[in-house]
Amino acid sequence: MIPLLILSPLILLAALGAVWKARPVHAALLLALALAMVAVLYLTVGAEFIGLVQFMVYVGGVAILIVFALLITRPGDEAAEVARRPSSLVMGLACVAPVLGMLLYAISKGLPVEAAEGANPKLPVEALGRELFENSVPAVLAVGVLLTAVLIGAALFAREPANKPEPPASR
Amino acid sequence: MNPLPLLLTLSSLLFVLGLFAVLTRRNAILILVGIELMLNAANINFIAFWRYGSAEADLTGPLFVLFSIAIAAAEAAVGLAIILMVFRHTRSTDLNRLDSLHG
Repeated sequence: MIPLLILSPLILLAALGAVWKARPVHAALLLALALAMVAVLYLTVGAEFIGLVQFMVYVGGVAILIVFALLITRPGDEAAEVARRPSSLVMGLACVAPVLGMLLYAISKGLPVEAAEGANPKLPVEALGRELFENSVPAVLAVGVLLTAVLIGAALFAREPANKPEPPASR
Repeated sequence: MNPLPLLLTLSSLLFVLGLFAVLTRRNAILILVGIELMLNAANINFIAFWRYGSAEADLTGPLFVLFSIAIAAAEAAVGLAIILMVFRHTRSTDLNRLDSLHG
């Protein structure tokens, strides 16, 4: 319980920075920090395997991918990102506040009072592997096909076109 | 005290932060950042209910998290590839400038 109480505000602060920071690279690095701390949270609640997977895939893969995309696209108009218009802020808050209200209301009212203290203190990795490769083989195969398709598709998208089209004149 | 409400509140706030980023950011890559936050919020929910919610030992929550992480990685790769392609055409990742289909 104590580690959760320490970790939760840190995760929220890092996520708030990722949402609020005007500079894209700072936002991406704070996202990496938030994802790493979520991995630590998984480690502390006993899901070590999931925590390590989260660390490798999100921190090592997705966050680095985002940083590289930022480096490649090099947003020259960072000023545009700084000048977040007040109207969009108000609209964003107006959309987000009811969602947060509903979620918190559901948490305060909808949970069973006698929620179990936890019948699953540790994640049994061997049982998880058996579950994956004995009972959910079609899903594993489908994810494999999806990842292959993504690999081919992303390579096709990112390929430099043979005959480069002229970029349209900026407005 | 049962930590389940704490974890659920954490995941709600993370989800809302991600939603706010998606709604207000103008850089397409930073919108992907918001989507990643929302996916992580959902994963925290799965783990929280697996650990503190269910009375019997089952592995549905961690299984869902594994699949969700794999699909999130695929989504990030495809999203960034699309953004790179858009950037190559318009020299910008600002979504407000992608209005060539605007009537």
